[in-house]
Amino acid sequence: MKVSLHWLRRFVDFDLTTTELAEKLTMRGFESEVVSDFDSLDNLVVGDVLTAEKHPDAYKLKLCSVSDGSETFTVVCGAPNVDAGQKIVFAKVGAILPGDFKIGKAKIRGVESFGMICSERELGISEEHDGIMVLDESYKAGTPIKKVLGPLFNAIDIEVTPDKAFALSHRGIAREVATIVGSKLKTPINSVKLNPKSKDIVSVELDKKGGCTRYIAGTMKGLKVGPSPKWLAEYLKSVGQKSINNLVDISNFMLLEIGHPTHVFDLKKLAKPAIKVSWAKKGEKFDALDEETYELSANHMVITDTKNTVALAGIIGGMDSSVTDSTTEVLIESAYFDPVVIRKGSKKLNLLSEASRRFERGTDPNAALEAFNMIVQLMQEVAGGTLESVITDECSMCLDSTSVDLSSEKLLKYAGQEIPSKEVESILKGLHIDTKKTKTGWNCSIPTFRTDLKVETDLIEEVFRCYGYDNIKSSFNYSSIMQYANDEESTISSLKHHLSSLGFRQSYNNSLEDIEEVKLFGKDVVSVMNPSSERMNTLRITLHSGLLKNLDFNFRNGSANTLIYEYGTIFEGKTDKLEDITQKSSLSCLVHGDVFSKNVHFDSIPASFAFLKGVASNIFEDKRLGIKVKYSEQKHHYCDPYYSIIDGKKQVIGGLGIIKDSLLKQLDIAHKHEVVVFDIDPEIFTNYGSYSTKVEDIVTFPIVQRDLNFKMDSSIQVGDVVKTMKSVNQSILQNVIPVDIFQSKKDTSSKDVLFSLNFQSPKKTLEDNDVNAIITEIINIVSKKFNAKLRDN
Amino acid sequence: MSLDKTIKGLKTSFSKELSKSKTSKDLENFRIKYLGRNGQLASLFEEFNKLPVSEKPRFGKELNILKNQLTEQYQNVLGNKSENSASSDIDFSLPGYNLPDGNIHPLEQITSEIKSIFQSIGFSVAYGPEIDDDYHNFEALNVPKHHPARDMQDTFFINPNAVLRTHTSNVQIHLMENQDPPLRHICCGRVFRNEAVSYKSFCLFNQVEGLVINETSSFAEMKGTLEYFVQEMFGKDTKMRFRPSYFPFTEPSAEVDIWNSKLNQWMEILGCGMVNPNVLTNVGYDNEKYQGFAFGMGIERIAMIKYGIKDIRLFYQNDIRFLEQF
Repeated sequence: MKVSLHWLRRFVDFDLTTTELAEKLTMRGFESEVVSDFDSLDNLVVGDVLTAEKHPDAYKLKLCSVSDGSETFTVVCGAPNVDAGQKIVFAKVGAILPGDFKIGKAKIRGVESFGMICSERELGISEEHDGIMVLDESYKAGTPIKKVLGPLFNAIDIEVTPDKAFALSHRGIAREVATIVGSKLKTPINSVKLNPKSKDIVSVELDKKGGCTRYIAGTMKGLKVGPSPKWLAEYLKSVGQKSINNLVDISNFMLLEIGHPTHVFDLKKLAKPAIKVSWAKKGEKFDALDEETYELSANHMVITDTKNTVALAGIIGGMDSSVTDSTTEVLIESAYFDPVVIRKGSKKLNLLSEASRRFERGTDPNAALEAFNMIVQLMQEVAGGTLESVITDECSMCLDSTSVDLSSEKLLKYAGQEIPSKEVESILKGLHIDTKKTKTGWNCSIPTFRTDLKVETDLIEEVFRCYGYDNIKSSFNYSSIMQYANDEESTISSLKHHLSSLGFRQSYNNSLEDIEEVKLFGKDVVSVMNPSSERMNTLRITLHSGLLKNLDFNFRNGSANTLIYEYGTIFEGKTDKLEDITQKSSLSCLVHGDVFSKNVHFDSIPASFAFLKGVASNIFEDKRLGIKVKYSEQKHHYCDPYYSIIDGKKQVIGGLGIIKDSLLKQLDIAHKHEVVVFDIDPEIFTNYGSYSTKVEDIVTFPIVQRDLNFKMDSSIQVGDVVKTMKSVNQSILQNVIPVDIFQSKKDTSSKDVLFSLNFQSPKKTLEDNDVNAIITEIINIVSKKFNAKLRDN
Repeated sequence: MSLDKTIKGLKTSFSKELSKSKTSKDLENFRIKYLGRNGQLASLFEEFNKLPVSEKPRFGKELNILKNQLTEQYQNVLGNKSENSASSDIDFSLPGYNLPDGNIHPLEQITSEIKSIFQSIGFSVAYGPEIDDDYHNFEALNVPKHHPARDMQDTFFINPNAVLRTHTSNVQIHLMENQDPPLRHICCGRVFRNEAVSYKSFCLFNQVEGLVINETSSFAEMKGTLEYFVQEMFGKDTKMRFRPSYFPFTEPSAEVDIWNSKLNQWMEILGCGMVNPNVLTNVGYDNEKYQGFAFGMGIERIAMIKYGIKDIRLFYQNDIRFLEQF
């Protein structure tokens, strides 16, 4: 909300610069930013346009000579309205305009220009940029602009939080400023008794269901629509609003003055001078002031003239009954609408207005009468009309102030320290809250404009914020208890570090993806009802999709080798019902290219299926976890092959697979080699608990190593042979590792496999004889079972 | 006597030449010249044989000492050489193996850092669902259905009653529903906002929130806790301020800014406040007996401040050229 210092001064005298004001309000809970501060602008003076002639080389530009009172400068200006004899805002060379726009010497179409004649937009006053800003003739050339525009246009922008409805006006902010600087609030428009000319009565009928609990109406006649007086137009301009005509301006002015929205109907356009507040018919079309047609629903509250809908209550007026240049008679509305009704109505149409913003936050019911009174006074003063009807005030709500108790003990307990009673009372008094001392604290009488103060903590907040958060001393009483991470937390954290130490980079991908893409990975997808873009309308069903995007991005940007992983949540749901949706943690790795690229020392080592299988054993077979896993080939709709990794309890703890080329093509993933993925189910993984080590005795007897070279059919799986060999002896045969596979190019039907066997006994040093018997048995069994032939080395 | 002289001369030239022999080839040539079968030492022994018997004992002793000395000298040099014999054959200018370089995502690093700061003062870590019902994300947190405060967080809906959580505060509700006070927890995870994606906002971000509930936790304690956090996170000398603000779930509420001396301006880093008594009532706590504070911060924001990152989208692009810097 733009707030003008000029306007604030209607209500309160203060001696603060724009920056100081913004700073003080910010520390009171009204986050403020300076938008115009003419006091900080140098080298800007009133300029006198002595001559304005056509630029010799450009027909749209003018060549002006501008006097700053002592010197004359040549200035090239593109504004159509610049003319000799005008007083203008002259930015001299060296000036810095809002937005850090520096003015320097410039050559424009061959002519040197020394400075600039400013438009309102360039000065940050309004959006006006069709021409330059023309000042009153009475200003003397050379007068610093800060003296001319500063008093009128210095302004700040305040972000008013949703709870502070009372602050959505200059008076509301002025009340706060008054307590900050400790001065009294002024009353610029005194409420006077209004005497109607006739005994006419505007009949007002409220709806019994509620929604509108106060409606004040009256008619005025003999009005003359015309331009607003200068003072009125200036106030509006000081917050960047355009003056439209005196009637419209008055209504807008009142809104920004005291924050109460009102509406003015053209009386002649109403069926009769009567108001009925009711609900829209479902599907009813309504032409609003903003030249849009809205389709209303049955819970839109509307204002009718007993026949037609003339306004969407509290949100926007109707086009047909609006004030125009020919209006002479009006019906003025000042009402109180229920915040929830207005909120629902405006949300449904996605139509937010200055009025709805205030009603939905809660307005002061007493301000309704005040606003009505002031509008009539202003109309009489500015547009020359008179009050015709008796003022109708249909009211079914309480207009008294409420009271809330504040206990001094609670205040102490909340603050953690004493705030002196005198301080508390003076703070509350400054906020127009009357206090009565009670045994336990204070009974506080809340003015009706503070709709936000309902319970004790509301008052505590007021006291704290005015006392100053800085004045509450901090305390720190944690004894040095160290809370260790829970098992789950530390297991996953170790896993991430484990992967990173193996060379994987951790990725964080968007959870929201394109439904078309997500569906390639799974069918029970969970979508967002109101996506911000079609590319992000569905939750990921696997982490593979994001990792593939990472591969694609990096491949296209020159990194062919990718070792990445992500840990995150994936989503699946048969329906969109919460109970049907599963959301679980997942961890996936993706590799492509090389682990080691070809170099002067050795050939490349590809990031292959075998590499990831190695990563899997490295993780699962960590002795501290002791997870025994088996691989079982599964059908998978986008991996071929795909192996489920099964733990000792027959749970699927992970998987390992190669992404099908068809999927890579569909998604247009840039790649050169096979793309391999490895998944871990973190929930099952963490059940294995944190790494806890039980040390086994180290066997110190020597290892006996033997090699066996078999020729066997190519189709035989080496792993089966290893298993068979191991089954021969479980006491001293410690390990069987295939160390070489040779396949001749001539004969592809068979292969030679070299196995290395390690023998070790925990009890003694092995003799040849101990090992030889086993070796013989292994040779026999393997030869028979696999029809393999032992080869001599 | 001439043999004495020869011995002396041999000693000198031996040392001199040995020190000049650098490569293994030099050394081998040297060995042949002096210690070889036909080398200079051998020829000395030949001369010795020609000596009269009376002189043999003296020279015999001396020659043996000489032989030992020279052999030892040679072996010493050879030994030193062979220790780094590889070095002489290696082209040290060649690059070493280019080992794969893994890393932890910057957001994860910041989250861990924050977690460990709070763990050091006794906070536990909790997690909760990313899709939750309207009640846990809003209503229980004192954000009624038709309240303007709902505009503060643009929400993605899964169905009219289920949302992608807009903050991790839903975890606080789940925690309190399942546990009696006292509580001292932080919750972390992803949260979602239906905002246009730009350099400064993304459709999701990571949050860490804290919750302390007991019979005495005050505003002063909240300040102390967060001051400790800011000093641990950003350095002991970090200037900070608490500024009144509004959140539906806390009252009084505050925003914490830290001073950025490079940009010469305050930067908002977290929101906090005393837990609203309505929230305590909603989870069945006695709000006369219990009170406490809550706080929350965006990890991306802190990471951006800490690492000088200007575009939030970089965190989710996973450009290796970005990731490798962490």
